[in-house]
Amino acid sequence: MEPTVAIEDLRIEYRSRDLGEASKVAVNGLNLVVGRGEVFGFLGPNGAGKTSTMNVLLGFVPPSSGTARIFGVDVREPIARQRIGYLPEQTYYYKFLTAEELLRLYAGIFHIPVAEREARVGAVLKLVELEHARNRQIKTYSKGMQQRVGLAQALINNPDLLILDEPTSGLDPLGRMKVREIIQRLKNEGKTVFFSSHELGEVETVCDRVAILHQGHLKAEGRVTDLVAQHAANLEQVFLKLVGYASQS
Amino acid sequence: MNTIWALAKVVVLEMVRRKDFYVLFILTVLLTGTAGSVNLFNDRSIVRYLKEICLLLIWLSGLVIAITCTARQIPAEREQRTIFPLLAKPVTRGQFLLGKFLGCWLATGLALAVFYLFFGLISATREQHWPVLNYLQAAWLHWMMLGVVVAFTLLGSIVFAAPSSNGTICFVVSVGILLLGRHLNKVALDLAQPWQSLLYGVYFVIPHLELFDVRDLIIHNWELIRWEMVALATLYAAAYAAFFLFGAWWVFRRRPLN
Amino acid sequence: MPSLPLLLSALALAVAFAAGGRLLLWEQAHRQDKGSVLRLLLGESRRAFANHVFLKADAYFHQGFYPSVFDAPAPVSKTHLAEATEEAHHHDHSRGHAHDRHRDWLEAFGCNFQPAEHRHLEGLGQAREILPWLRLAAALDPQRVDTYTVTAYWLREQLNQVKEAEAFLREGLRANPDSHEILFELGRLYAENERDVLRARIVLELAIAKWIRQEASLPSPDHVSYRQIMGQLAALEERAGNYERALAHYTRLHRVSPNPAAVQQRIDEMRFKSAAPVVKPP
Ligand SMILES: Nc1ncnc2c1ncn2[C@@H]1O[C@H](COP(=O)(O)OP(=O)(O)O)[C@@H](O)[C@H]1O
Ligand SMILES: [Mg+2]
Repeated sequence: MEPTVAIEDLRIEYRSRDLGEASKVAVNGLNLVVGRGEVFGFLGPNGAGKTSTMNVLLGFVPPSSGTARIFGVDVREPIARQRIGYLPEQTYYYKFLTAEELLRLYAGIFHIPVAEREARVGAVLKLVELEHARNRQIKTYSKGMQQRVGLAQALINNPDLLILDEPTSGLDPLGRMKVREIIQRLKNEGKTVFFSSHELGEVETVCDRVAILHQGHLKAEGRVTDLVAQHAANLEQVFLKLVGYASQS
Repeated sequence: MNTIWALAKVVVLEMVRRKDFYVLFILTVLLTGTAGSVNLFNDRSIVRYLKEICLLLIWLSGLVIAITCTARQIPAEREQRTIFPLLAKPVTRGQFLLGKFLGCWLATGLALAVFYLFFGLISATREQHWPVLNYLQAAWLHWMMLGVVVAFTLLGSIVFAAPSSNGTICFVVSVGILLLGRHLNKVALDLAQPWQSLLYGVYFVIPHLELFDVRDLIIHNWELIRWEMVALATLYAAAYAAFFLFGAWWVFRRRPLN
Repeated sequence: MPSLPLLLSALALAVAFAAGGRLLLWEQAHRQDKGSVLRLLLGESRRAFANHVFLKADAYFHQGFYPSVFDAPAPVSKTHLAEATEEAHHHDHSRGHAHDRHRDWLEAFGCNFQPAEHRHLEGLGQAREILPWLRLAAALDPQRVDTYTVTAYWLREQLNQVKEAEAFLREGLRANPDSHEILFELGRLYAENERDVLRARIVLELAIAKWIRQEASLPSPDHVSYRQIMGQLAALEERAGNYERALAHYTRLHRVSPNPAAVQQRIDEMRFKSAAPVVKPP
């Protein structure tokens, strides 16, 4: 069976704008496989290359070398994105649209038949608890509500793979819990979730497997329980050790 | 096509919900109204100067609407990061550009329709006749011309980083062509050799926006333009718009987004 | 009238944009000296702009048809409009723009989208459409005498608005108290439209006096104006039955006329009539 996400020997370089400056290698030699139905935590400190990897998966940035496939299709093909839902790191949506209009727009892009469209829009709005505000323009939303609109749009096409870039950053504890709940629910529905984070607590509770990235290199990969057992420490200590932070204890 | 249409609708909605258009329209109405209320030699039936002023305001507003609306599209998408959730969906970059083009062009068309309706009303109240077909031709040609402007502004918004500088450049270029485009060949003939061929080349390469400016014909109640000529002009505009859109796609197609 | 300045600025803007291209080029092409652009930008700009506006009125007179500087072979010293006023013959300057003389296909194609045929405003008072431009030209350059005389001509001859014509001429006279052209136009108005011999005589004689003071000592005086005023004055007196005065005027006219034989005929007639006893109407 095809893995949902397969990354081979991925290298991402950013060409610098200024002349004479060396180009910046964001990710180097990354190999990663995410199987169907897994919740996969993509960990790493700021600047590790998590967002860059996701940008390649979504076709925003071409890889310098290596390949990335989703459902067995090269990520350069737009069709690869038909069954994906994506929540960017931080995003503002078209402020002058209402949540309902925004979701209808995206539903249209996924060619969801008109008959089904309203039902889907209603369902995702209910899931993220925005039904009361569905007819208000997004510019009147609070930050937490905007984040939930983001989640709603990621779910509009009932995707088989969700790519979430730090879905809980900037949310209050209640908001985080809700996001965790949603991830859990999606997992129960058999979806694959690939999400990045540096919040280790939440990762531990929802992830099947994790990968730890540091300065563009993969430092560790495996089941949370295996990693913890292997290093004889909790996930946080493992993480700190792998990213080169000497523990005081 | 559905995708392009869905994207275009967002642009049109944006224009409808922003204030720019209303400000320009009200300004046009007010200026035309005051110009019309001036007493000139106690003669209330003088109308052409009023048509001239109204059309001038419409042309300026049309350019401003088309250019500002188009110039901000892609920079705003990137700045507000709305392009990421969008292109994470099965949307090609070509569809994205076409959607933006169509949206901006339709939005300007909508604005033009309102403006020309007002123009028709103004001239009808004074002249007591309503040459609908002539106005239709003028508005149509105007809209086609703005299609070219929208296309090259879209290209500019990808090539130049800052939206304000792109807007200014596009505005200056459009006005420059409108005023001088017709005369470049004659200026060229007066120049010494390498420059003559160069300027003549420029003359043939630029999109002749001024062809579409038929204000003089409707101010002075000339006959209809031959329809086959209108069709040819439409093709001419379509060719240039397609060329600029292709250029925009060529530049944008592999550009990393971040 | 508070909105007049606003209207004038709007019209000025219209000239700058609509005709700006061709008219500005016209200006530059005909003023070869390098300093002209600077002068245009500084103090002279108002005056130069008034010239453009005047040309715009001319373009209106031609229903928007106006050959650009590149099409018209020679610079015209007086606009076609002003010539029309003086009832000079209409030469058709559309030949430079004729359909068979296009430099390239773009130009040929472009002809379909602009007035490309020599046509004048005519029919029911259409000439009124040029008035706003003339009003603007007067506001921009009150010292431009042409503006007043041309406007008054159109108002009076074509539009039958004698009162407005008189008011505008008086406005011009306030700005140019020494202009024999304006005085002549005003005299003509009194003589031909109002049949007011007394006022016409005063004004026309004043015009002659001004002409003599300003022009007579010049190396090449403006004889056309002199002949016009004198001719008008003589005709006025002749119509009024003052044959001796008419005789005096015709005699002065005879000295400068390009067609002395015709004037001589008038002189002989006046001699004959003034010698005969005046027949009072019953
Ligand atoms: N557009 C860019 N140009 C140059 N360098 C970049 C660009 N985007 C990211 N980087 C660099 O690439 C590295 C990885 O960044 P990123 O993938 O955003 O990290 P993360 O998401 O894990 O915090 C960082 O060192 C960052 O500075
Ligand atoms: Mg990141």
